[in-house]
Amino acid sequence: MAEVLLEIKNLRKVFEDNAEVLKDFNLSVHKGEVVSIIGPSGSGKTTALRCATMLTPISGGSVTYIGKKAVWEENGKICYAPKAQMKEIKKSFGLVFQNFNLFPHYTVMQNIIDAPIHVDKVPKEEAKKRALELLDRLGLKDKADFYPFRLSGGQQQRVSIARALALQPKVLFFDEPTSALDPELTAEVLKVIKQLASEHMTMIIVTHEMQFAREVSDRIIFMEHGVVQAEGSPDELFNSDNARLKEFVGKLTC
Amino acid sequence: MATSTMFSQLAGGMIVSIEIFILTLVFSLPLGLLVALGRMSKIKVLSGAIKVYIAIMRGTPLMLQLIVVYFAPYYVFGIAISASFRFTAVIIAFSINYAAYFAEIFRAGIQSIGAGQWEAAQILGYTKTQTFFKIILVQVIQRIIPPVTNETITLVKDTSLSFVLSVAEMFTIAKQIGAREASIMPLMAAGLFYFVFNYIVAFGMDFFEKKMSYFR
Ligand SMILES: Nc1ncnc2c1ncn2[C@@H]1O[C@H](COP(=O)(O)OP(=O)(O)O)[C@@H](O)[C@H]1O
Ligand SMILES: [Mg+2]
Repeated sequence: MAEVLLEIKNLRKVFEDNAEVLKDFNLSVHKGEVVSIIGPSGSGKTTALRCATMLTPISGGSVTYIGKKAVWEENGKICYAPKAQMKEIKKSFGLVFQNFNLFPHYTVMQNIIDAPIHVDKVPKEEAKKRALELLDRLGLKDKADFYPFRLSGGQQQRVSIARALALQPKVLFFDEPTSALDPELTAEVLKVIKQLASEHMTMIIVTHEMQFAREVSDRIIFMEHGVVQAEGSPDELFNSDNARLKEFVGKLTC
Repeated sequence: MATSTMFSQLAGGMIVSIEIFILTLVFSLPLGLLVALGRMSKIKVLSGAIKVYIAIMRGTPLMLQLIVVYFAPYYVFGIAISASFRFTAVIIAFSINYAAYFAEIFRAGIQSIGAGQWEAAQILGYTKTQTFFKIILVQVIQRIIPPVTNETITLVKDTSLSFVLSVAEMFTIAKQIGAREASIMPLMAAGLFYFVFNYIVAFGMDFFEKKMSYFR
């Protein structure tokens, strides 16, 4: 079995208003695996990704990347990895947002190369060369000098994928990458993600696109009320007789 | 008095007015940014103190603030005030007053930038400082140009308040000549000067706004 890149154990998240949004959430992801997370709105999918990527502090449990603990609970206190280790951990993952969050004052090229240059200290020429390769792969070669506002939503999302890939993450998270897009643009983004899957990029994808999840995933996780209700291969899940899952999948596919 | 003499005296005042205007902007804009950051600080004592400062600056007449700043060295520290301190006092008073107004504009601008920009930068590995100066600030500047233009235009006219400390700027001189010559002409000339000055300021800000609209 391939190396475990991400290990989330007994993750709990309670917001200030005392809503327990995640209760004992567990997930481990191996190198090269594509895991989709599905589930109704409000079930805690976004919160799970935000906790895993350390955008939101956890309330309990632990998150481990490449065998290094990033954040964990100890005697009721939340502990973070020491600075140097955290830096390495943060380099190991990327996140693609639902609404892209491109930097509007940077061109497509600047969006992609700025972090490699100023965070990873990659020489500018090298960063540019890599960016052009990425843009070519994602079908955006002629858009390098455009500002984001001149791109369609689908193009913007592909740029944001390129921006994440430019830092060469080991794991890439997607939070509903197509839910801000109309069907045509959705297709072009899904195609890019499928292409990454075929290149064995390790990905964790929150999505409502059932057909896509079925095609692209090695494993699907069905979440509801902050817990994993069902988990398995796409075939196992889509043929499961879990009543809630059947109802959820049925609603979305017909 | 010859008209040419009047104009040469007014011109001297005009230069002082422009000096006050420029120096105030040079000091109050960066200071305003610092004040805005302090106002948003998680340190309660700091943000509280800055709230009080902003309330005083906005809640009392600028003319009074000019007088207070001018006399503060004497009343607070017992230092004799020299006449040359007048100009410095004007710059200090204007700068701390305008910094308060600019701070509120900066704060609104900073808070109008969605959390998504900070979060995207965090995921990409930028530090908070890098994020602020590379990602956030440019967007803030683009958004605050209109309110900053308003303040700047007000500043042009407010420079005339320096007359309370008898600093020889445009308005002070116009008033003096007007009283001496029993004529309203010098004041009218001053009015025209403020108008033209503001016209140029508005034109400059408009140009800057257009330059900054390369992104949305
Ligand atoms: N910052 C927050 N403060 C309080 N409650 C939150 C916050 N963010 C999310 N929630 C709540 O957590 C639950 C799960 O939200 P979320 O993780 O966004 O679900 P999903 O992505 O599956 O739709 C929801 O009930 C939501 O209202
Ligand atoms: Mg969500």
